[in-house]
Amino acid sequence: MNEQRTDILGMLAEGKITAKEAERLIAALERDQPPAASSPDARPKGKAKYLRLMVDTLDETGEPGRINVRVPLQLLRAGVQLAALIPPQALDRANAKLNDSGVPFDLTRLKPEQLQALVEHLDEMTLEVDQPDAKVRVFCE
Amino acid sequence: MPQLVTVRVNRPDRRPIRTWVPVFPIMLVLSPVVVLAALAAAVACLVYRVSVMRALGTGWRIVSALPGTRFDIEHGRTGVLVAIR
Repeated sequence: MNEQRTDILGMLAEGKITAKEAERLIAALERDQPPAASSPDARPKGKAKYLRLMVDTLDETGEPGRINVRVPLQLLRAGVQLAALIPPQALDRANAKLNDSGVPFDLTRLKPEQLQALVEHLDEMTLEVDQPDAKVRVFCE
Repeated sequence: MPQLVTVRVNRPDRRPIRTWVPVFPIMLVLSPVVVLAALAAAVACLVYRVSVMRALGTGWRIVSALPGTRFDIEHGRTGVLVAIR
């Protein structure tokens, strides 16, 4: 589109078209611009509705595998509220198990508001892993 | 609220299975079971001292947020797709 815009400006500079015609042509160009492709770079910030997980793999036999998961962010927000419903005794048991597994993490200190804030900022996250036999992308769209 | 669940299963050397599940009619048919499940959930909430209304509200929010969810897993000529609309 930049090329066409340059052409229009060139014609204007050469006097082949008037400023008004140039303005109309540029406006028409902008109207005809195709919608942005669904990519993490192309989408506007703060408008994400879905969390996407895309995995492309190639196993030892050369057979391709593909995982494509789309989860509404609204579902994550609702799921976060489940954290507030976990009984304290269950959290204590989970803490003990985590501790036994070498993860000294206190789940009782994790507040639903913090999880909510985490989900709110997910749309700024893009995770890409490139391996010769696998490619993983996690992003919001 | 989900309205339609699409399930597609691709298997090698066999015809793919594609099923559309209308959620509302199924829920109507299963409503006695749903009521029983809700009652059991309410009793569990009371036993574990969790607010029943809050639990039901959260459950409803989760169900309402399901439309748009899509799981598509393929490996070679085998694949499973579950899409909720």
